[in-house]
Amino acid sequence: MQRTNDLDSRMILVCCGTGCLANGSMEIYNALQRELANTDVQVKTYTKPTGCNGWCEKGPLVKIMPDDITYVQVTAVDVTEIIEKTLRTGEIISRLLYRDPKTKKRVKSHHEINFYKKQHKIALRNIGEIDPASIEDYVSRDGYKAITKVLQEMTPSQVMGEVVRSGLRGRGGGGFPTGLKWRACAAAASSPRYVICNGDEGDPGAFMDRSIMEGDPHTVIEGMIICAYAIGASAGYIYVRDEYSLAVKNLAIAIDNARSRGYLGQNILGSTLSFDIEIVRGGGAFVCGEETALIASIEGNVGETRDKYVFPTEKGLWGQPTIINNVETWANIPVIINKGAQEFASIGTEGSKGTKVFSLVGKVINTGLVEVPMGTTLREIIFDIGGGISGGRDFKAVQTGGPSGGCIPENMLDLEVDFNSLARAGSMMGSGGLIVMDDRTCMVEIARYYVNFLAGESCGKCAPCREGIRALLEILNDICKGKGKEEDLILLQEIGETMQTASLCALGRTAPNPVLSTMRYFKDEYIAHIKDARCPAGVCRDLTEFYISEEFCTGCGLCIKNCPVDAVSGEKKAVHVINQEKCIRCGECINHCKFNAVKVR
Amino acid sequence: MKIIIDRQEVDVNPGATILEAARKAGINIPTLCYHEAFGGQGMCRMCMVEVKTGNTTRIVASCIYPVYEEIEVVTSTPAIEKIRRNIVSLLYRSAPESELMQKLYKEYKCKENRLSINHNERCILCRLCVKACEEMGRSAISAIFRGTEKRVATPFDEASEVCIGCAACAKMCPTKAIEIYETNNERIIWNKTFTLIKCESCGQPFATREELNYIISRTGMEGLDGKHCESCRKKNMAVQISQLVE
Amino acid sequence: MSANARQVEAKELAEILNKYPGEKRYILAMMQDLQGKYNYLPRKGLEMIASRVNVPLSRVYSMATFYKAFSLVPKGRINFKVCDGTACHIKGSNVLIDQIYKHLGIKPGETTSDGEFSIETVNCLGACALAPVLVANDRVHPKVTSAGIVEIIKGYGGQINATDK
Repeated sequence: MQRTNDLDSRMILVCCGTGCLANGSMEIYNALQRELANTDVQVKTYTKPTGCNGWCEKGPLVKIMPDDITYVQVTAVDVTEIIEKTLRTGEIISRLLYRDPKTKKRVKSHHEINFYKKQHKIALRNIGEIDPASIEDYVSRDGYKAITKVLQEMTPSQVMGEVVRSGLRGRGGGGFPTGLKWRACAAAASSPRYVICNGDEGDPGAFMDRSIMEGDPHTVIEGMIICAYAIGASAGYIYVRDEYSLAVKNLAIAIDNARSRGYLGQNILGSTLSFDIEIVRGGGAFVCGEETALIASIEGNVGETRDKYVFPTEKGLWGQPTIINNVETWANIPVIINKGAQEFASIGTEGSKGTKVFSLVGKVINTGLVEVPMGTTLREIIFDIGGGISGGRDFKAVQTGGPSGGCIPENMLDLEVDFNSLARAGSMMGSGGLIVMDDRTCMVEIARYYVNFLAGESCGKCAPCREGIRALLEILNDICKGKGKEEDLILLQEIGETMQTASLCALGRTAPNPVLSTMRYFKDEYIAHIKDARCPAGVCRDLTEFYISEEFCTGCGLCIKNCPVDAVSGEKKAVHVINQEKCIRCGECINHCKFNAVKVR
Repeated sequence: MKIIIDRQEVDVNPGATILEAARKAGINIPTLCYHEAFGGQGMCRMCMVEVKTGNTTRIVASCIYPVYEEIEVVTSTPAIEKIRRNIVSLLYRSAPESELMQKLYKEYKCKENRLSINHNERCILCRLCVKACEEMGRSAISAIFRGTEKRVATPFDEASEVCIGCAACAKMCPTKAIEIYETNNERIIWNKTFTLIKCESCGQPFATREELNYIISRTGMEGLDGKHCESCRKKNMAVQISQLVE
Repeated sequence: MSANARQVEAKELAEILNKYPGEKRYILAMMQDLQGKYNYLPRKGLEMIASRVNVPLSRVYSMATFYKAFSLVPKGRINFKVCDGTACHIKGSNVLIDQIYKHLGIKPGETTSDGEFSIETVNCLGACALAPVLVANDRVHPKVTSAGIVEIIKGYGGQINATDK
């Protein structure tokens, strides 16, 4: 390990993404500011609050440059030691380094950690390295170079050509070729035209857009300005989910800064392009992630969708030609312009170019954001990068594509992630949520969970979706309570198929997917619920009983201590017993028992 | 321009919907949320038809789909009939007591299944009432909430200040879902009580005062004296005209 | 409410709404500001929005009920938001909901009768690595266990086992 001798200036990057903030990173940042102001350590230090590094599992993260040290799970009380040791003499505090569970060795830099090593960051390239409130930081990393190049050297047609040649496809879930969409809009007859950023990230389990908007808002802004030039738009809107208050705040600061530097407003960089951006906050509606509902919402209506026999590229916001793209799609645009379409297209697969950001969550050891080239296999993402299943349990399935997607079982883990292959497997890429499930997940309950989610999120306008979801939910609720009927599997299939063909929008058309895909790969679980009123995973409360095995119980009392409802009783060293009436099936006893004595029937 | 519907050549103005073109040509496509006064809403999806453009075939809602090129339309296929049957089957659960849904249930040969049925409900959420109130009334009702909780109501489920009691909503409703209670003197609808004005000629109650005021304010019809029902007014007018002619 | 108080209320509401042009597209923003200030949407506020943007009250009411960011009844002094995103769900968010019901007697969408606590489930907050997540007003509580929720409730002044459920 090389000790840095350059004590002239150091940079301390404190992760201030929502995750680390929740774990106290602001206290760390403040402590650093305070103590550095009073210290006699002879070193010029800059502290920066950055966006989400993606490795929320190990937060709060503090990185020190140019030493390239990454400290994990830091607390405010560590700050004094960090200043005294690392800043004063360059000494590395071993206990704050990440310890690889396989090699048991401490790792100095996040660059050496599997979680990061295998990633290829394009959309996430700046996050964790810059202060999102600083436009200088963005500019120092090739920021606004692309728009300068575009305005000085390229025609709108050339810009769109680059995007087409890059092969970039929409990252929000639709996967439509971005360049072709822009061309269609530019060709539409009417004016004015609008550019919209869809920041209404609603898939439960997905937070890549949040991280980009919080941690690198300028990349979205720059992407939108480039598009405005290409299609001839004068106004842009960033529609941000209401719940993402930090994203709204950082976007507003960024827009302000961009304006004062002349990247937004009249005659940008002395060109004829005049373009500005307004933030519109969502009202708390998943359906507003669907482009026609989003448009309706901006216009001042309820977020109801409409048929797309005429596309928004022709008649969108206020009836005008409109481009709507997802946050991650926008984040790729400046890089495509700077590095060229060919380089972008050299990454990924035939049908899916570039990289994709996934939010790897659930029962996996390294939860967080992962950006990998398209074509990486699920196995690599979950096991190499994710570190495998947490709690030493077994992999059961990974859910992709959120409420519009499906579950992929173990025997398909070598599937390469790409738009087409996931669709063929009965799921879809969606926005990139990867929810890893272990053997303690009930696939029927997962289907029920998603349908229940959609029951409240569907706009309710069309009959197949609204009534179809109502029917699916009734059946799945019954099945999970042990009241399933023989005809249910056929009924679920038939209602699902009607929804897929007749629903007005993609929400309704894809609503049956979690049900149909779990039925396809986990049919035996459905049958166990229906025929035997049994939940093999031990999740569905009415069908499950936790009991303590006499054979394995040592009477250590760990379960008694951890049971939140005092349902376990027993003397020391005697077999413990669970009171079935009090038990809420939370699973804490299972999680804590070292002897595998808690069983499910 | 010309398109083909069920192997019949049909004339259609560019931008008109398939449904409009079909109706003009006397071809029937079932609907639940369509009314010629308002056009299509694309909500019930009963009107789905198969459209072939070039080499692509897809199923679209004919009440909304605008015709801009020469397409081939098929209004009924086994797949489409299955969709219609399933939609009827699902909507029947929400309006089992209504004549309309009972009739459609039989017509589409829906099969009994294990799903629960709500005998207290009659609304199929076609929202024709909302449209009627928008066009002919004062937008007193609207669809509230979303998803499976969606329903039509007045703000706060209370008597609406702007409701004129015209009952256009109730008259438009295909399943008689709107409760309207009427006597010789009163009409109670959407939790609001209205006094009915009686015609000076025939003595029959014919409108609410609020309704008349609203019509006058919208149309500025000075000739509308607000004292006669429509048939008596026509009779009077006929008498006046014949007097002029003499 | 006295006539004066009614006037003050109207004046205060007008101040909030007049920040925006009287156009339909600002309805959402007006509602967000009202919700932020009053913790719910006062009826008078909705009526004033309707007249300011010249849209029927029924449509404004449709929006108020459609979007989950708004509530028509005041929320509690401490508003618990339990994330029911998929990651939180499979890590036991329903247990937290049950525990809140057990100790405070309220289900999602409800407020305690003394106006102290309310609970709602929210869609994925995007903090999935910290599942299960509970937000109390603006404070994010990560990885809340069924034992941890009890401490959290106590910490905000709630009574434990106040209801015999």
